[in-house]
Amino acid sequence: MHPRAGASLSRRRFLALSAAGAATGAATLSGCAMQVSSGVGGGGETVTVMAKPDDFPPELVRQARKDLGVKIVTVRYDITKLIGMMTNGAPPDLVRGVGATDAPYFAARDVMEDLDPYFAGSDVLKADDLDPVNDLWRFDGRTQGKGPRYGMAKDFSQDSMYWYNTALFDRAGEAHPPETEPVTFEEWLETAGRLTRRENGQTTVFGGSYNGVLTPNLLASLTVAAGGSLFTDDFSRVDFTTPEARKALNWYIEYGRARVGPSIVQPDPNTWDGPTFQANRMAMSNSGYWLGGLINSDKKLAPHARLAPAPVFEGGRRVSPCQAGTGLWMPRKARNKDAAWRVFEWFFGEGPAKARAAGGWGIPTLKSLRPLMPAQEDYQKRVLKVQNAELKHFSVIAYTPYATADSLYALFNQEAPAAMNGHLSVDALAGRLNSVMNEQLKRGKEQVG
Amino acid sequence: MTVDQIPATGRTGPVESTGRTAPPQRPRISMTARRHRAFYLFTSPWIIGFLLLTVVPMAYALWLSFTTYDGISPHWSYVGLGNYTELFSDPQTWNSLGRTGLFALTSVPLSIIAGLGLAVQVNRPIKARGLFRTLLYLPAVVPPVGVGLTFKALFDQNSGAANGVITLFGFDALGWLADPYARYVLLMSVLWAAGNVMIISLAGLQDVPRELHEAARIDGASAWRTFRSITVPLLSPVLLFQTVTGVIASVQTIMPLLLSPDGTTAGVTALPQSNYLYMMHVFSQYFALGRYGYASALLWVLFVLILIVTGLIFKFTSGVVFYNVDPEAKK
Repeated sequence: MHPRAGASLSRRRFLALSAAGAATGAATLSGCAMQVSSGVGGGGETVTVMAKPDDFPPELVRQARKDLGVKIVTVRYDITKLIGMMTNGAPPDLVRGVGATDAPYFAARDVMEDLDPYFAGSDVLKADDLDPVNDLWRFDGRTQGKGPRYGMAKDFSQDSMYWYNTALFDRAGEAHPPETEPVTFEEWLETAGRLTRRENGQTTVFGGSYNGVLTPNLLASLTVAAGGSLFTDDFSRVDFTTPEARKALNWYIEYGRARVGPSIVQPDPNTWDGPTFQANRMAMSNSGYWLGGLINSDKKLAPHARLAPAPVFEGGRRVSPCQAGTGLWMPRKARNKDAAWRVFEWFFGEGPAKARAAGGWGIPTLKSLRPLMPAQEDYQKRVLKVQNAELKHFSVIAYTPYATADSLYALFNQEAPAAMNGHLSVDALAGRLNSVMNEQLKRGKEQVG
Repeated sequence: MTVDQIPATGRTGPVESTGRTAPPQRPRISMTARRHRAFYLFTSPWIIGFLLLTVVPMAYALWLSFTTYDGISPHWSYVGLGNYTELFSDPQTWNSLGRTGLFALTSVPLSIIAGLGLAVQVNRPIKARGLFRTLLYLPAVVPPVGVGLTFKALFDQNSGAANGVITLFGFDALGWLADPYARYVLLMSVLWAAGNVMIISLAGLQDVPRELHEAARIDGASAWRTFRSITVPLLSPVLLFQTVTGVIASVQTIMPLLLSPDGTTAGVTALPQSNYLYMMHVFSQYFALGRYGYASALLWVLFVLILIVTGLIFKFTSGVVFYNVDPEAKK
């Protein structure tokens, strides 16, 4: 229906045209949606990846098109959006996830694709080339680290290790930490206290940051380092009142009370250690090898930055876990699984994986890519030596499948500030954490069945 | 076919004596019916949008509020009023509700007074009035996320400009984003955007008949008396509008989240206690704990509370709000 040139637009015609316009708009929108979900793109297949912008920047998307002939459509990672997409039956083909905590959670809810058959047939990702860190993405229905593989880590760090700034140590007259022997957590905290600088109520130099990647995971790791386990055998409860968990909790609360580094009662506006460490305002940061990507790019900082082994508790175990193991997984209802697997192989074993390994942003998760880790400069060789020595202390610390890391973190945040501000004893805090976290775990267990 | 044979509802016109068929005639529709039809046709895009984007989600949220649904787990159950009864025994609900009420009671009057004060000033015949109006309105244009980031940077204890200034004068730096100061930073972030209130008050002020002010001046009324007895009563519908929308906005505010130094979803629970408002509780239950059912119940309770509070505001202000309505317009 077209109005004649020069004809006035009657109300009836206007409504008819509006309706036609709306229908066309709806068809166009529906066409857009179809392009994403049908797996058919211009000239090749389309794979929808839900990730953070840094994981799949536009140049990597273009590279995938060139290398694989696959069009990657990226969707910004958002757990609510992910749940919405899965509920609507149109999940992404690949999803970003934190292996240490997401893998058991999603696997227990049966929304992840078992990738074992894909790994078995792959010439790129071979089982004997996979670093043990990838076991974080295994789950046998009860315990993390065993059973089918549901994903893979893109790179990793032993996140209890810490970097230190030799210039700040020298300025404070402190001896540098030993490179291969761990200090104790108590010594670490005392040193951090001596390195902290304050003026007029402002902290000009943080002595040390020790927050781990995710607080619940950090607490689980600290408890293992103290010789115990935060979770019960069936992962359905936490117990902060065991001597080991209490030791771990007490140390972390002491860290918060001492205000030697960022914490929930003294947050760093940068929200992560990188910029503060780079600005020579943080003497120690437990960021693991991963922070080397930032450090290597700063030629002034790099010669002063050294890596040290994960601390231990006196009388405890020497463990050096990975608290993240961020990577990708494939939803069970993904529509374009074969093309997604091609992207998966490429991302974890080909060009992008090699580039990541050479950049120093984490340890490659394929053993064969280790030689690519930066070792041109003396300081890089030194860091690599410490890192390689630490690898033999790696261990998978299993996480509960009954709660997200975010939920336990939120509950910890709710209760811990009172203790960090000195208004609540650690024993009382342990009791409260048991109460609120176990309630959340109970709900989760009921919902997993 | 004769005239008698023409079906009553047929579109065929009567056969003229010449044998030619007359042009078809539409069934008669009254003017009222046509107006109704036009109304519904023109408003149908909004009505459809309202149904799909408001009524359906609200109904869905209502249904969710009776379940333990978490979005992803395979097993969830219908718990009836379980979430609502839990809500009333949850101390965080009451505490956050109390703080929200206090926040609304302070932020709404302060922002209305600030906005009205600014409007009165920029309504004067001064030089560069337009420039002042623009500059004062500019903060209201900044998106809330920008306000959050700016205030976080300004009020950071260790690197913020606020502490930079006070330490220059020999005072110790303050933890602005922690208790007990965090509530003041939140309040400042609201007042900073008072330009929004100003622009509406300014429009109201320009509607106040000048002759009333002139008459008052001739009668010897002071400026304050004129403002109190003429300007404010005539502005009362505008002030009522600002009160109602201000209260609704303040109980729904997510500004504390934007001021959160943590920057993560779960970090909402680490907010200073004074800034842990009702919406923060909803946010933590929904996004951090994945309790869609419980969070939906919290939102439904908030919806009902807003209705009640709005009704009470209308009830208690009915005697002091003067509507300058043309009686003919009611017809």
